[in-house]
Amino acid sequence: MRVKVGNLAFAYPEFSLRVEGLAFESSKITAIVGPNGAGKTTFLKCIGSVLPIPKGSVFVDGRDLAALKSRERARLICYVPQEHDTTFNYAVSDFVLMGRAAYVSPFSLPSREDAGSAAEALDFVGLAQYADRAISELSSGERRLVLIARALAQQSDILLMDEPTTFLDPKHETELFQLIRKLAVEKMKTILVTLHSLEMAVQYSDQMVFMKRGEVVAHGKSAEIFEDSLLEQVYDMKMKVIDWEGRKIVLR
Amino acid sequence: MSGQKNSKARGLAIFFLILPLLLFLVSLSIGSYGISPRGLFKAVLSVVSPASYPDVPAAYRDILLRIRLPRVLLAMAVGAALSVSGASLQALFKNPLVNEYILGISSGAAFGGALSLVFLGRAFPPQVGGFVFAVAAVGAVLLISGKAESHFISLLLTGIIVTAFFSALLSLVEFFASPYVLQALFFWLMGSLSLASWKDLYISLPLIAVGLVILYLLRWRLNVLSMSDEEARSLGVNVRREKIIVIAATTLITAAATAIVGIIGWVGFIVPHLVRMMFGADNRRVVPISAAMGASIMMIADDIIRGVSSFEIPIGIFTSLVGIPIFLVLLKKTRKVWL
Repeated sequence: MRVKVGNLAFAYPEFSLRVEGLAFESSKITAIVGPNGAGKTTFLKCIGSVLPIPKGSVFVDGRDLAALKSRERARLICYVPQEHDTTFNYAVSDFVLMGRAAYVSPFSLPSREDAGSAAEALDFVGLAQYADRAISELSSGERRLVLIARALAQQSDILLMDEPTTFLDPKHETELFQLIRKLAVEKMKTILVTLHSLEMAVQYSDQMVFMKRGEVVAHGKSAEIFEDSLLEQVYDMKMKVIDWEGRKIVLR
Repeated sequence: MSGQKNSKARGLAIFFLILPLLLFLVSLSIGSYGISPRGLFKAVLSVVSPASYPDVPAAYRDILLRIRLPRVLLAMAVGAALSVSGASLQALFKNPLVNEYILGISSGAAFGGALSLVFLGRAFPPQVGGFVFAVAAVGAVLLISGKAESHFISLLLTGIIVTAFFSALLSLVEFFASPYVLQALFFWLMGSLSLASWKDLYISLPLIAVGLVILYLLRWRLNVLSMSDEEARSLGVNVRREKIIVIAATTLITAAATAIVGIIGWVGFIVPHLVRMMFGADNRRVVPISAAMGASIMMIADDIIRGVSSFEIPIGIFTSLVGIPIFLVLLKKTRKVWL
């Protein structure tokens, strides 16, 4: 599904976001990068209508998200938060099942099909054996996978992932990105992901958006725009990109 | 192992769901005038067909129909109402410390009920005033505290202030009450089932039933609403609308209960915790089992009050005195995360 963002604006008391126009294509991964406070998460939340946008529009295959009901919107687009901090210690299967909320009437219970979709999603991320475990018993990396499983159970074609690899060790970070790649290729998802790891961003994304102080500084194909000068402009520090066995490494 | 654990939990859940029915029958036979199970059975049948059971004393029927039945039904309804209200509010506000008292619902309902009793008399249903002021109190708490779910301290402080305000208003009502009304008011405020009458039940039971049915139907949705508002919105929930429905239903059942039995503390707080300790956090189980356990606990408490001593300790005091130590013992014994 194609996501088109136009003249988007959002403001906190001491921060404002302004994005004039961007488009994201199906089966592609877009990495949104930039320094802390650049507005990456706010941008993602505005696209997903998690934050109400006072100005601008988000269209998905020509449909204005603002005009859709909550459940219709959730079937198209899903925001995956950075970390889940629930007060209540749900079982993993119950947690993933919540991804079916957009398909279940408020006064009903999830059907057998809903439970099947949730189980399938949990299996896809490789955590089927943890279905009965309490979520607090999982490691940080496993909890990230559970969040992704819940998003998969939601069956929306657009996934907005907010820093999915924070606090993960290199092995889990790589595995998670391989999974995200698999989602884009096999499930044809349109994926937007905010990141701090520039190497991972350029390695796994098709397109990159560089943000700074609430605005888009540059965007384009990852392999084409990932250059020293842009990184230095965005991060206000000396940085150098070198090629090593086909991969880009950032020296700083 | 997991299957064995699940079947054990299922068995325990069925036990708790059936328990209120057993306790209902036991409670009808307990009191200062003892009625044996056989006598009770015959008394029930004699209500249906008096001619077939001429040997059943009229006093049995009177005690059963006019005193015990409304009282036991009220105990069940109030216990279920407060427990489900507590469980729902805890999920909705994503905080296990929230209850109807913290949100000002109880104090608003108590003030409204008292105002009605003092100035309009017992002929006018106190549930109306209770509901109106409970809505006013919870509305004030939510409006003043702003984004309460993410700022619990703000919610707590606002709740304390609003509760103090309605308590002051309640004192003012007491000040204007005649000595006779004041005495009744005093016992009512401590939480009492002794004033249970069919007239009160005719109004409160349907209100409690409606609220309970709504919250029961929303029980899975409460799981989703217990996520952060941003997550719930992203999952496809109309957060604002569904919050209003849950708050309206909990306010309705709390006001309907408080308006006739006064403030009964701790049941709405402790019962959901006990249920989560035993059955986990899933509200598909928490809501119905809380209703059953709340009803059972209230009936047991009332049975002890009626059966043990010749004088009646108000049930509000009794539930607090007994409930809190039990909760603390369980808390220490389990030593695990159950939220």
